[in-house]
Amino acid sequence: MHRHPPTNPNAPEAVIVDNLHKRFGPLEVLKGVSLTAHEGDVITLIGSSGSGKSTLLRCINMLEVPDEGRIVIGGEAIGLKKGRGGRTIPADARQVDRLRTRLGMVFQNFNLWTHMTILENVIEAPVHVLGVPKAEAVHRARALLDKVGILSKADSYPVQLSGGQQQRAAIARALAMQPKVMLFDEPTSALDPELVGEVLLVIRQLAEEGNTMILVTHEMGFAREVASEVVFLHQGRIEEQGPPERVLVNPESERVRQFLSRHLSNGG
Amino acid sequence: MFELLSFGPNGWGGQLLGGAAMTVAVSLSSFALGLVFGSLGASAKLSRNVVLNGLAEVYTTIVRGVPELLVIYLLFFGGGGIVMAIGRVFGYEGYIELNAFTVGVVSVGLISGAYSTEVIRGAVQAVPHGQIEAARACGMSRWLILRRILVPQTMRYALPGLGNVWQLTLKDTALISVTALAEIMRVAHVAAGSTRQPFLFYTTAAALYLVLTTVSTAAFERAERRANRGVRRA
Ligand SMILES: Nc1ncnc2c1ncn2[C@@H]1O[C@H](COP(=O)(O)OP(=O)(O)OP(=O)(O)O)[C@@H](O)[C@H]1O
Ligand SMILES: [Mg+2]
Repeated sequence: MHRHPPTNPNAPEAVIVDNLHKRFGPLEVLKGVSLTAHEGDVITLIGSSGSGKSTLLRCINMLEVPDEGRIVIGGEAIGLKKGRGGRTIPADARQVDRLRTRLGMVFQNFNLWTHMTILENVIEAPVHVLGVPKAEAVHRARALLDKVGILSKADSYPVQLSGGQQQRAAIARALAMQPKVMLFDEPTSALDPELVGEVLLVIRQLAEEGNTMILVTHEMGFAREVASEVVFLHQGRIEEQGPPERVLVNPESERVRQFLSRHLSNGG
Repeated sequence: MFELLSFGPNGWGGQLLGGAAMTVAVSLSSFALGLVFGSLGASAKLSRNVVLNGLAEVYTTIVRGVPELLVIYLLFFGGGGIVMAIGRVFGYEGYIELNAFTVGVVSVGLISGAYSTEVIRGAVQAVPHGQIEAARACGMSRWLILRRILVPQTMRYALPGLGNVWQLTLKDTALISVTALAEIMRVAHVAAGSTRQPFLFYTTAAALYLVLTTVSTAAFERAERRANRGVRRA
């Protein structure tokens, strides 16, 4: 079976997260998280519900603005400042928009634009954000749809697709921006069990092609196969991190051990 | 009897047709103005600014809570004064009289806009938040998201409600016959008085309104079908 090569500390850093704090009202969800993804890394985030996995991922592309800490995307630090009422806000919305084009995000619920066909979904941002000529965008979109196995659905609307097909379309949409890093938030959790495999297959292929990815998942077997590094979050802190064959097989932390036994007994 | 409705020298056909055209003109203008007020009202209600929230709330509460005829009277008798007062601020001392068409369009537009505000606000809230997040995650700017995602999605949720607002607006234009503007209702009223055939002319007026509402309902249904591509299975 394919195993992802271990993380290469000499590769350039694609994403650096440094001492990230995030509060929702009185609840501190991230309590100082630091994490580095080198180019080619596949980092899987695991941890129980509410541990802050989604929040961490969403901070990386500024869908949530952290209260403290630093995020560096491809060597460029995201500018933050204090807004009214002491809340942290982006210093420059255009910088955030620009950096987001280098981060492809795949959501649990696909979030395809329902008023557009699959092809229109895939070319939307390349054409209107990056300014790619339409003909070229269509050409590339069709190649991507072919790659994820849904070229025949190019002219269908999202409602006409199964969940697995919709998620593969969403992956194609993210890839169309030619991002430096792909972010996945539980991409298979909303799917019927029989549709999980087809989506994991696509993600595995992306991992094998050397794409840098940060992936939240409850699929432990999959994490073990594709990850170069596994990060276990517990109550907003990193409890343990390391190569999958250590964290997922022989963890030091008792909490990770318990989590794994629960997830393996659940068939996860 | 049919001579009265004909286009001949003793007939009212030409005037009735002119009245229908005027009704359409006032309705379209008022509805369009109402969409402007409605979009502004909905943005204000959805904004985080408390002052804007309050202003929009006052607008819809007053306009929806006061009889529509009264809104028209207030604007008809007070509108000129208001405009003159504003004119004086800018140093214009002359007398300004608003014509009946303008007063009609503004007053029905205000009424239409109050209902559109609620329809548009509900439609914006119905747009799934995840689709907006997906757009942000692709690096789309706020303006681009508004134009490419939010407005088209809002349209599809708003169309059924806006169809109702359009019908209300069309019928509300009958109220501005009190300003003597020669729309369907006014022409029917004058014809009824001078021919002593009120039933004939009011029936004709009803028929004209029915034709207008039926045709426009069909148009809205077409638009809804177009906008709903992708919502329901084809
Ligand atoms: N927008 C928000 N407002 C308030 N609280 C929030 C918000 N988003 C997340 N939270 C809270 O923050 C905590 C962490 O949420 P998060 O979604 O990051 O967890 P998670 O690890 O992804 O969990 P899951 O496995 O269930 O997806 C939870 O307690 C959640 O209720
Ligand atoms: Mg989550």
